[in-house]
Order: sequence, then C-alpha cells, then structure tokens
Amino acid sequence: MSAPLTQDNIVFDKVEVKYSEYVYALRGVSLTIARGEFVFLMGQTGTGKSTLLKLLTREVKPTSGRVLLWGREIGGLPERDVPALRREMGIVPQDFALLPRKRVYENVAYAMRAIGATRREVRRRVPEILERVHIGHRADAFPHQLSGGEQQRVAIGRALINNPPLLLADEPTGNLDPAHSWEIMEILMELNRRGTTVIVATHDQMVVERMSKRVVNMQGGLVVSDVTPSDVSAEAITQHVTAGWDDEEPAHEDHPILEPEPPEEFEGPIPLDEEDLEPEVPPHA
Amino acid sequence: MLDRIEFLLTEAITAMRRNWLMSFAAISTLAVALFLLGGLGYVLIRMNAAAEDLSGRFEMRVWLRDGVSKQQISEIAADIRAIKGVKEARWVPRDIEWKRQIELTPEVAYFDNPFPDSFKVILADISLGPEVESKIKALPRVDAVEYLRAEQQFMEQLMNFLQWLATFVGGLLIVTSGILIYNAIRMNILARWREVRIMELVGASRSTIRIPFILEGMLQGLLGGFTASLLIFAAQQAVAEQLKAVLMTAALPRFPIELALVVLGGAGVVFGGFCSFLAVREPVRRRMGV
Ligand SMILES: Nc1ncnc2c1ncn2[C@@H]1O[C@H](COP(=O)(O)OP(=O)(O)O)[C@@H](O)[C@H]1O
Ligand SMILES: [Mg+2]
Repeated sequence: MSAPLTQDNIVFDKVEVKYSEYVYALRGVSLTIARGEFVFLMGQTGTGKSTLLKLLTREVKPTSGRVLLWGREIGGLPERDVPALRREMGIVPQDFALLPRKRVYENVAYAMRAIGATRREVRRRVPEILERVHIGHRADAFPHQLSGGEQQRVAIGRALINNPPLLLADEPTGNLDPAHSWEIMEILMELNRRGTTVIVATHDQMVVERMSKRVVNMQGGLVVSDVTPSDVSAEAITQHVTAGWDDEEPAHEDHPILEPEPPEEFEGPIPLDEEDLEPEVPPHA
Repeated sequence: MLDRIEFLLTEAITAMRRNWLMSFAAISTLAVALFLLGGLGYVLIRMNAAAEDLSGRFEMRVWLRDGVSKQQISEIAADIRAIKGVKEARWVPRDIEWKRQIELTPEVAYFDNPFPDSFKVILADISLGPEVESKIKALPRVDAVEYLRAEQQFMEQLMNFLQWLATFVGGLLIVTSGILIYNAIRMNILARWREVRIMELVGASRSTIRIPFILEGMLQGLLGGFTASLLIFAAQQAVAEQLKAVLMTAALPRFPIELALVVLGGAGVVFGGFCSFLAVREPVRRRMGV
C-alpha cells in the first residue's frame, strides 16, 4: 500500500514511538486515512492505539518516521503551534474529562470560552452543539447526574466546538453497555456522514463487527490487518445494524440522528436505571 | 476584548477562592513583609526629614583664639568654607555673642566680655562631622570646636540600625512570601488540572491557560500591598495618638495613605506577578490523555 502524501490524507509513514529504552508503543506503522473516512483502530490493550491517536494530537512525537495531517508534517511541529493544531480536530478522551462542578451546558461553554469565543457565540452555539449530540434536554444536569453514555455525548459535543474536520475518539464505548454504545456510534456515524473524518480506537469487538467500517487491526505496536468492507453501502449497514442492534431500541428511520427524539421516550426503553446513574459500571465482556 | 479579560479574571478569582487557605497564607505573609519594609521605610523618610529640620542643631561652634584681626577672620572663614561637608560658616562677633548672653542672664553684664570671636558652622552632611571637626581644629588660630557629636552619632546609628533591620527582616519575609505565592500558584495548577487539561484538549492558547494563574499571583500581591498600607496607616495612627497624649504637641504629619496604597499595591502586583510567572513557567508534567 503506497501512501499518497496529498492534503486529503492522514499519513503515518513508518512511524516508531519509543516511550523509553525498552518500551516500544509503535514499531513502524504505515497507514493512510482519507478525508471523510470512518476508521476503527482495533486491538488489545497496550497495542498502541492511543499512541497512534496521540501522534495526531501531538501529545506524543514520533521517535522515527513521519506523521502527516492533510499533507503537513506534524511530528516536528514546534510546541507553540500545538494549540492551533488541536483546534483543527475534536478530541474525545477516554475518561470524558468533564468538569464535575459545571453543568452540561457550562462544560461546553467553558471550553468555548477557553478558545476565545465570546459570550454571544457561546449562547448561540452551545444549544446547537448539545442538540447535535442529543443531550440538549440534559443541559442543566451535572455530570454525576448523567449516565456514562450521556457523559460521553457531552464529551463528543465539547469536541465539536471547533467544527473540526477530524474527530478522534479513544475507547468511546469502553465503559458502556451495548445500548449506550450504539447511541454513541450513531452520533459518530452521523458526524461522519456530514463529512467529518472519524478515527475510533477501541478493543470492543462487538461494536466493530456490527458497524462494518474500515478496521485497522493492531498488535504489539504493528498494523496486522487493514480491512475495508467494500461490498455494502454505509446506509444499508446502518439500517441493518440498527435493526439488529438491540431489540429494546425503538426502530430507527433512515437517519435516526436527524430525528429529534422526546427525551423521556429516548431514555425510556433502556431498563438499566441503576446503571444509568452509575457511570463506573465495568465494561461488558 | 472585554469578554476575554472577563473570562481570564473570572478564572483567576475562582482559582483563588477554591484554594483560599493557601492564598490567605501568601497574602498575609506578603502583607507583613511589606508592612515592615514600607513602614520602616516611612519611618526612615520621616527621620531624615526630622534630621534635616534639626540641622540647625547639627552645627559646630568654632572658637578662635583671642585677638584675631578682621583680616584673619575672613581668611579663616574662607578656609572653613573650603572644607568638604561644610554647608555654611557664619562669623559671630564676640560683642554680639556677649549681648546675647546678657539677654539670657542679665546678671553677667557687670563682667568683662569673656567670649572670643567664633564661627557657626553648619554641616551639609552630618556623617562628615568628625572629619570636619579635625580639619577645622588643624587650622591656625582656632582654639576649640564644639558640636553635638553624641546626638549626631546616636541618630545616625539608630537610622543605620533601622535600615538594617528593615532590609533584613523585610527581605526575609519577602523571600518567604514569594515562596508562598509560588507555592499557592503551583498548588492551584495541580488543583485545576482538569480545567488545564480541557483547555489543552480543545487547543486553548498557552497564554489563555497561563494568564489566569499569573493574574491570581498579581491579585494576591495587590491584596498583600493593600493590607500592608492599611497596617502601616493603623500603626501610624496609634503612634500619633500616643505622642499626642505624652508630648501634648501637635499630631504627626498626615500619613499619605493614598500614596502608600499605590506604591505598596503596585509593588505587590509586580512581585506577585513575578512569583506566579515563575510558577507557570515550570511545566507540570501530566498526561493529557487522549
Ligand atoms: N506515557 C507512557 N510512558 C511509557 N509507556 C507508555 C506510555 N503510554 C503508553 N505506554 C506504553 O506503550 C504501549 C502502548 O500503549 P497505548 O498506546 O496506550 O496502547 P492502547 O491504547 O492500545 O492500549 C503500552 O505498552 C503502554 O504501556
Ligand atoms: Mg488506549
């Protein structure tokens, strides 16, 4: 697979990352992701998925090899340019990173204020962003009053404040049950349909299998397989997966995300009330 | 722009309130340090002014031998004026001195005038007193030199001591309060790791992340400076009350509280800003965690 270094691609070119003398996180990864793709980075814990994402956010520098984002080498980007780089992407961290003392609305507003938005812009955009991730009805809740899936949606919403062309999500379904995992995937797919390039690191076999998207399998810091399903259209998969995902989910239309759902009904069919209040439930097997 | 300032300032105040105990320690230590430095500085300024007022008393009386001529007197006057540290040398004719004495104690009028001619020498710099004295003594036809050497030296020593004390104790406390401010900011950076991390995640500029902490240090400095001004003002009022009661004289000159607020507040802001700048410059190593 040769890597076209155009400005329409994200390119990892023989990238190695060494955390210390003996700890290799990546051992020479070459990978090309096109603009508009939806890609899963799949693999056991410790195989280097997070490190791959961190190369793009420039939390980690490559020990050798090159990382190109839309044709621009970012491995050697000076530290002072990193904030600007991060404003070109949405980052959804594994642990949500919500401010516990701020409400849902304030959490997103705070991040917007931090990147220089005025109060006016915040008032205009936050409700819109919250709607996009289906959490508008919980705008006044504190994070601890939300289920894990809802917290994850807030974290995704916050990642959208820069209108990023690229969204990076690290184990977004790590702590969620299948129903909530599906909600998150729906949101990510919807963003992808609107043109956002989405890269998801996960070890959740079930999510990956049902999504039928490109899967980059990693093992020991190397890419061991890279499979793109080409025979089925994304729309068809969506419908198929939606139907078969969870029998208790209400049936979805073509574009389930575009359809505003009444909050009560939305939460209603999920019978896991205790778990809703407890985001710390261990990940399902 | 205003929006921006408001955000940064709100962040700073929130941070300070959340960590109020540490902020309190930093502010109060800085207040005491500035109280000592500023207060003793004020005392020194006042004492210098007082010393200037007293300069009339820091004069030397130079007695000449008997029977010097007018010609010789003007020569001696020129010699004395040429000595470094002498501000003024005025001839006091023996007749005038005698008249003054008779006014004070009329009984002596029956005697002959025992006074020789003399000079009143006013010093430009009281610390040069002993030097001037020995130089004048070495002049021909000078009989004796008289001056309030002990008082001068006492004043001088007292002022030197106070200066030393102010510098030493105040300096020590300044260093301590600097460490406390630095520490308060470091602790706040740690306490606010979530906010810092989110700002890093969404690509907030480095200055947006750092300025609130620096503002917080400046704010602590400002509060420390203001507290010190008020402490000095209170101390000065208390001293003035005491003096009024004991000496029955007019009050001390009015304390320039506005000036103190500006000077000490400004010093606090600069100092607090400097300490917190050092605190944010030191990186806090922590994983952003994508
Ligand atoms: N900051 C770090 N310092 C040292 N080793 C690290 C660091 N981050 C990750 N590693 C190591 O690098 C390897 C890959 O980690 P990571 O990219 O987090 O994998 P994954 O996300 O697939 O679980 C692991 O062996 C991990 O222990
Ligand atoms: Mg990981």
